[in-house]
Amino acid sequence: MSKQEYKYIGQSTPRIDGKEKITGATCFVDDIQFGPNLLYAAIVESPHAHALIEKIDTGRAAKAPGVVKVVTGKEFPFRFGLYMHDRYVFAQDRVRFVGEQVAAVIARDPFTAKKAAALVEVQYKELVPLLNVFDAIGERPKSIIHPELKNYAHVPWFFPEADSNIAHFRKVRRGDIEKGFAEADLVYEDQYVVPRYAHCAIEVHAAVGLLDNSGRLTLWTASQSPHTQRHLFTQALAPLGFTHQDVRVISPAVGGGFGGKAGVSMEILAAALATVVKGSPVKILWSREQEFYNTYQRQGVHARLKVGVKHDGAITALEQTLYWDAGAYVEYGANVVNAAGLSATGPYRIPNIKMDSICVYTNLPPGGPYRGFGYSEFIFGLESHFNEIAKKLNMDAVAFRRKNAIREGDALAYGGKMNPNGLLEAIDKVAQAIEWDKEFPSADPNIAVGKGFSLFWKAPAMPPNASSSAFLKFNEDAGLNILVSAQEIGQGFLTAMAQVAAEVLGVPPDRIRVESPDTDRTPYEWQTVASHITWGCGNAVKRAAEDAREQIFDLVEKTLGKKRAALYLEDSAVKYLEEPGFNLPLKSFVIDGIMMADGTWRGGPVTGRGMFMPEFSSAVSDPETGQGGKPMVHYTVGASAIRIEIDKETGKIRIPKVVLAVDAGKAINPGLIRGQIVGGLLQGLATVLYEDMRFNDKGKLLNPNFTDYKIPTALDIPAEIVPIIIEVPQPDGPFGARGIGEHTMIPAAPIVANAVEDALGIRIKSMPITAEKIAMAIKKMEENKR
Amino acid sequence: MLYEITFILNGEERRLGVQPNETLLDVLRRKLGITSPKVGCERGDCGACTVKLNGLLVKSCLILAVEVNGREVTTIEGLMAKGLTPLQEMFMAKNSFQCGYCAPGMILAADDLLLRNPDPSDHQIKEALAGNLCRCTGYEPIIEAIKAVAANTKASAGQTRGGNNE
Amino acid sequence: MGFAKEFEYFKPTGLKEAVSLLSAHRNTAILAGGTDLVVEIKGGPAAPDVVVDIKGLSELAGISFSGNVLRIGALVTFTQLLQSEVVRQFFPVLQEMAATVASGAVRNRATMAGNICSAVPCMNSGPVMCLYDARVTLFGPRGERTVAARDWFTGVRRTAIQESEILTSIAFPVPAPRQGACFVKLGRYAGEDLAQVLVAVLVLPGHQYRVGFGAVAPVPLRAARIEALLQGKVPDGALIRAAQDLIDIEIAPITDIRAGKEYRLHMAKVMFKRALTAALQRFQGAGPAYGTPLI
Repeated sequence: MSKQEYKYIGQSTPRIDGKEKITGATCFVDDIQFGPNLLYAAIVESPHAHALIEKIDTGRAAKAPGVVKVVTGKEFPFRFGLYMHDRYVFAQDRVRFVGEQVAAVIARDPFTAKKAAALVEVQYKELVPLLNVFDAIGERPKSIIHPELKNYAHVPWFFPEADSNIAHFRKVRRGDIEKGFAEADLVYEDQYVVPRYAHCAIEVHAAVGLLDNSGRLTLWTASQSPHTQRHLFTQALAPLGFTHQDVRVISPAVGGGFGGKAGVSMEILAAALATVVKGSPVKILWSREQEFYNTYQRQGVHARLKVGVKHDGAITALEQTLYWDAGAYVEYGANVVNAAGLSATGPYRIPNIKMDSICVYTNLPPGGPYRGFGYSEFIFGLESHFNEIAKKLNMDAVAFRRKNAIREGDALAYGGKMNPNGLLEAIDKVAQAIEWDKEFPSADPNIAVGKGFSLFWKAPAMPPNASSSAFLKFNEDAGLNILVSAQEIGQGFLTAMAQVAAEVLGVPPDRIRVESPDTDRTPYEWQTVASHITWGCGNAVKRAAEDAREQIFDLVEKTLGKKRAALYLEDSAVKYLEEPGFNLPLKSFVIDGIMMADGTWRGGPVTGRGMFMPEFSSAVSDPETGQGGKPMVHYTVGASAIRIEIDKETGKIRIPKVVLAVDAGKAINPGLIRGQIVGGLLQGLATVLYEDMRFNDKGKLLNPNFTDYKIPTALDIPAEIVPIIIEVPQPDGPFGARGIGEHTMIPAAPIVANAVEDALGIRIKSMPITAEKIAMAIKKMEENKR
Repeated sequence: MLYEITFILNGEERRLGVQPNETLLDVLRRKLGITSPKVGCERGDCGACTVKLNGLLVKSCLILAVEVNGREVTTIEGLMAKGLTPLQEMFMAKNSFQCGYCAPGMILAADDLLLRNPDPSDHQIKEALAGNLCRCTGYEPIIEAIKAVAANTKASAGQTRGGNNE
Repeated sequence: MGFAKEFEYFKPTGLKEAVSLLSAHRNTAILAGGTDLVVEIKGGPAAPDVVVDIKGLSELAGISFSGNVLRIGALVTFTQLLQSEVVRQFFPVLQEMAATVASGAVRNRATMAGNICSAVPCMNSGPVMCLYDARVTLFGPRGERTVAARDWFTGVRRTAIQESEILTSIAFPVPAPRQGACFVKLGRYAGEDLAQVLVAVLVLPGHQYRVGFGAVAPVPLRAARIEALLQGKVPDGALIRAAQDLIDIEIAPITDIRAGKEYRLHMAKVMFKRALTAALQRFQGAGPAYGTPLI
């Protein structure tokens, strides 16, 4: 069997957790039964976007019948955060966004907790709220949201500016930008605005904390990041005497993450509150409203772009400034700004680059990780801008992409080299699938047709030592359990891991279980984010399976005298190339071992161990130029195109076809990749077509519900989605695989913007591009004509 | 004040005391330990709480528990009391669900559709699912599974007819 | 997790008992389908101390048709409207409207009566009710009375209902042996949405027209000026444009988080033209099937 022919890799294997999901057996955090001793917490929230807390009176609340405890920030004066320590368990001296937690009431039932929370009296002194990036920066902003910024601990690759609202300033300088513009035949400048968005996983955030009477703190959380959560909980509560050994995080299942359940948001409350009701578990279940305004949001960004090109379309220079509305706390969001800042060239070869990516505090909910991690945010402007330039050059939009597409070995913005990739293949296949060169004239004069194209890319944004580890153990029937701390959030990674182990061990995937994370029982995984689990955890699982395989071969070689090089695993048995009849079922020895002639045994339970941590990644770079370092392990690339029909009277868009090609390196499970393409595209299309977050002028979110923040229903899907999988192997990926989970959402906004321009000749530079915006733009254009 | 209600839950008679301001969703999940209907929005927008009430598809977050007195409630557990339904088998075969949170509600909606309309058009399928939000899948594999079950039902009904003619 | 407001619950078995309960207590709310009330108790603005469930009142159930009048009982759900053969035959536009209410699981509970009692400006039923000069029957401490559609809606969330009264049925008189009608609802996408603009048009024999709007004024309304302009004529391009121009003064849309005033005005005109065109075609026995999306 040649290396390239796999038995399990490349199959669209049915999900190994499929039965659990279709029977409703999956147990989410709010489904766990904790018994009659379970307490419930309700949160007292700030009505102001920016204010000093003068006084909190908990007397009336504490006396209400059924109330067990009332706490405020005084009990937890601790700062914490993932990449920067700028967050608090409860607001301390001031509140920084509407909805921020100020106090909590713990009671015997949720109604009592909620009623008593309304009895907590807080006196505020309002400060000037900064609700707009440009109000927050500049010479003398009206407020400084984090006066202590200069004292905050942070990772070495962040550059905050003391006594300002700039939490991080990522600069990238490569080549000579002025020379680049001088060389250009055409220079074009413009601005683009992308607002905030909400993840809207159907499962709301949930957390239960229990500090048992032995002093052990256990958290049950719906989390993409149990180990990172444990680390942050321990750090935050260390002043209370906790070490990592004292803290356990269990995440049984997650009902959709999209980045919103990464890091730590409301879960810190369960950890903290558990410590004041020792012996009783306490649950916090977020309402859908709180889900909207008090969990991470996707940050808004204002992009200024200036690009120079030659007549033949070659890009000579790119100058970009990204102003990020990062919200009240940026402990996670600042890394979005960082990652985007290093990669906001898109997958293009550009010799002269000047980029500034600026993380700005505002008095709005904390920004954080959302599928695409800054790339979904910046690509709208970049790909809209490139399309405009192509048009000005009279150059076909696809030809422009082909001309400038980045190739393997090309220099990246920060000085690294581009990995092997199928970008050109993706461009060609997408252009073909959307029939880019064909005309689709509209029979109806009221319907305008247009098509739009975009490239995309993304690299995992992780600390350079982000690692994955795996244990693997056999059972008596030769089924096996894989123990990892990555989390199934719907992407299907459990199945992919089973397929990886299956390929190495010759055990079919449906005999393989992959367990959900428990920091006591499953080995370390940094987080299930960044689309890196297939790659990182996949490598760890592969190594664990290989470790187990080696033990098996060792045993068989030693006890049965077979030549190791001729041994192989197939159909849950050990087989021998030199003896076609040799078939030793795994179940006969993976627990019991092999009995020798004299009645003694060799071997015993086979358990495998694997770990993967990239040893080539470094975040050390020049703060002024971003050069040096290798912050990105590799990029996944792709292309996408859409055909739309616009009703010119109503502005409504119909989508007959959308195509997306992504280079997965090696598609471990093509069906699951298709699932990510269909789901991701729809999520992306929703951000550009109708998701629309509205804040009032006091910083209050006006539509924290599905009634007025519209996410797609079954009626809103495009008529046809064509997924294309490209496979240019990732050399250090398991079987050549790299991640694709976030990428499928990234190009959705610019393909629509470009298609609208193609259809109507109108360039809309802000999102969302709603029917209203289109209809009003058409009306204005027609009025101007008259 | 506690009101005593008696109702049939998944074929079994249940009797318990409820407060008027407890929703059916609250009572199912917290008092009866039936956690398949989920909390998603508690406003009737997302469908994660979907159950059947006297055979009709409803949103349990919008129903007071007292209202089900003398009535019959079915959750997904009741649907599959005699084993997995053809719809469930097909959802599994087509990898129709990702995170699974919307699944119990979505499966009840699909079941309700095929009971009312065994041969639905694409549009009718989408219409029937429109009250159940899914953020993960983009709906396509769910719709495909429903179509496949409808086609199988049609095919086997056709075979039966053919057989009778011989 | 449920809601914090506590209240008492009663389920009367007769109409008189229901009215007595409403009279005997202060701060009451009537519960039928609950799809509005439950949400409003959870998040405001409703905060009743007593909830009276009227689903036990069998006299309020059912759809009947006699003497050329369709009577829709207060407990009739939107699903029942959609399944009714007599509604399909005589008022297909009612079904066209009912199909756009929320989603199936909500329609299985929500009632048209509840919809018109809520009187929120975006409520679907209002324009169609006005189109047919429907009549609302109420039963209260002083017995039974009837209110005409044009007098029913008195303001945002306000109707002509008086204290301790219960809406028992809504009557739709058949206006003529032949009709063509059309109902169009503007939402932000194809999925369920609260209306940003509602337009309903009815074409009757002798070139009679009725035009209703909703969600573009505090109450649903009949566009009297447009009706006067169209009456007795066969609409051509110029007449339709003139009618569209009148929309500027017939309606008073606002800007809110769902839509801007200008777009609402623009769409009201677009929807009016398409609704009128379809209604005319349907009057001729042709045109798009009821329920076909026109925008």
